[in-house]
Amino acid sequence: MPIDTREVEKIAELAHLKFDPQELERFVGHFQQILEYFTQLETVSTGAVSTENVQYAHQAVEGKNRGTPMREDEVRSSLPVATALDNAPESSEDHFQVPPVIE
Amino acid sequence: MSEIHHLSIKQLRDLIQRRDASVTEITESFLNRIRQCDDKIKAFLTVQEEPALAQAAQLDRQLASGESKNGLLTGIPLAIKDNIVTQGVRTTCASRILEDYIPPYDATVMSRLKESGAILLGKTNCDEFAMGSSTENSAFFPTRNPWDLERVPGGSSGGSAAAVAVGEAPGALGSDTGGSIRQPAAFCGTVGLKPTYGRVSRYGLVAFASSLDQIGPVGNSVSDVALLLQAIAGSDPQDSTSAARPVEDYLGEINQEVKGLKIGVPKEWFGSGLDGQIEQSLRAAIKKLEGLGCSLLEVSMPQTEYAISTYYVIAPAEASSNLARYDGVRYGHRSADQTDLDSMFKSTRSEGFGEEVKRRIMIGTYVLSAGYYDAYFIKASKVRTLLRNDYHEAFKKVDLLVGPTTPSLPFKIGEKKTDPLEMYLMDIYTVTANLAGIPGLSLPCGFSQEGLPIGLQLQAPYFQEARLLNLGHALEQELNVQKPKLAV
Repeated sequence: MPIDTREVEKIAELAHLKFDPQELERFVGHFQQILEYFTQLETVSTGAVSTENVQYAHQAVEGKNRGTPMREDEVRSSLPVATALDNAPESSEDHFQVPPVIE
Repeated sequence: MSEIHHLSIKQLRDLIQRRDASVTEITESFLNRIRQCDDKIKAFLTVQEEPALAQAAQLDRQLASGESKNGLLTGIPLAIKDNIVTQGVRTTCASRILEDYIPPYDATVMSRLKESGAILLGKTNCDEFAMGSSTENSAFFPTRNPWDLERVPGGSSGGSAAAVAVGEAPGALGSDTGGSIRQPAAFCGTVGLKPTYGRVSRYGLVAFASSLDQIGPVGNSVSDVALLLQAIAGSDPQDSTSAARPVEDYLGEINQEVKGLKIGVPKEWFGSGLDGQIEQSLRAAIKKLEGLGCSLLEVSMPQTEYAISTYYVIAPAEASSNLARYDGVRYGHRSADQTDLDSMFKSTRSEGFGEEVKRRIMIGTYVLSAGYYDAYFIKASKVRTLLRNDYHEAFKKVDLLVGPTTPSLPFKIGEKKTDPLEMYLMDIYTVTANLAGIPGLSLPCGFSQEGLPIGLQLQAPYFQEARLLNLGHALEQELNVQKPKLAV
């Protein structure tokens, strides 16, 4: 399945990334090469595996009966607000600050 | 007595217990070694000189007054890969986007090491967000192979493996998503273990691909790796994928009899892509297994040839989702002077991530996007199930598997950096263990004519780390690999 520049730009938009034209050109080439390699997967017969048979990693390892671990819904201590804000690029009072979202 | 920095963790513990060396002397010795050679090796992103010495002095006082708990790793200085968060100590993932990130908490493995009495020497270099097989994808600098400075140490945990090989630390932690502990261990002539998925808590490991990631130890011997695993293994309420089952006594079982074990040799692992010198060294080592009383049996792993495609669909898919959190809002880099939110996200991520990380986010976004999801992600997940079945069938017949860790010897810096697919193919013998979730151990089995290390890999069924380490230890003693002189 060949991929063109326009499609790569669309994927970049979805991934919140941008590329300059030179970067984009190199990128499309590598992308194409990798997708071409992936086409070998089409040749594998997977008819015997239904989508429901695909297990989560922890279930595959620990057995089918390993369900989702649950715990009591108890209030526990969490990071103090000031500590949580320590790494923020911009903050104000007890909030993270971002560029305006409403005009 | 050889120099302190070339002693094993076990020997260092004995020195401390007998009061033949203080914790401060030992810590100083490793810091000296870092000063002496890290400008050439470049294994560390951050060295914790003063805090390490302060902790060492405190441990010495406690030991002198008798109030020290007898921890598993009391006074042992360790190096930690920089994608494992350390409270108050910069954790970058070798990425610009986390260049100044100071975590407000410790990863569970860090809390456990601290409880065991270990000392944090520093944080080691890696491929950015653990994405790579050479440590060249670090945003800061490449790490160099201690046996030949022109060559890569492997990756992504290249800093951890190189630091241990050269004696800058007696042991280290890395993380392994597709071979990132075992491959650098093989390239640096050290021992590296990827435990079973769920054996070690991943709370505080910066997520790359959540169905594959696992933290594990690097050491200069199988018994040191067993000791480090003992300290970090076990269930953790903070990681719901950690396994509830009890932790075995890895050191206690390391000397068990290996006679009678059935060892599988997968025929697909000795194909045309395997370097001749590696194959020769492996065949000789496999013969030694027979000498130990093990029986050998050829087995088949038919999905091996699809493993790279399967892995490079699933891992980037999970990465694209995990790395969505880097948006410049709560922590990490933020692009300057952006006037609207959308441009801020895009500029932040485009400035903060390196080329390989962007490539994987893009591949991941593509294989998960409408129209391609079934053809790539679902298909790869089904092939992954078939690959698990390959292991299931093999382990009905044999107790463990043996094969290469890497298809090639350590390559030159820059040699494969421009061809991402060629780099991905380096992971052929390691990704299968991650896709299946089983444990894998790499240990040195010889050196090439050029004096480069060769790794051998053993794999075991789920949660059979004790047996894996047991056989690894027996083979290590039998091989008694003589290492050439280090490059520094």
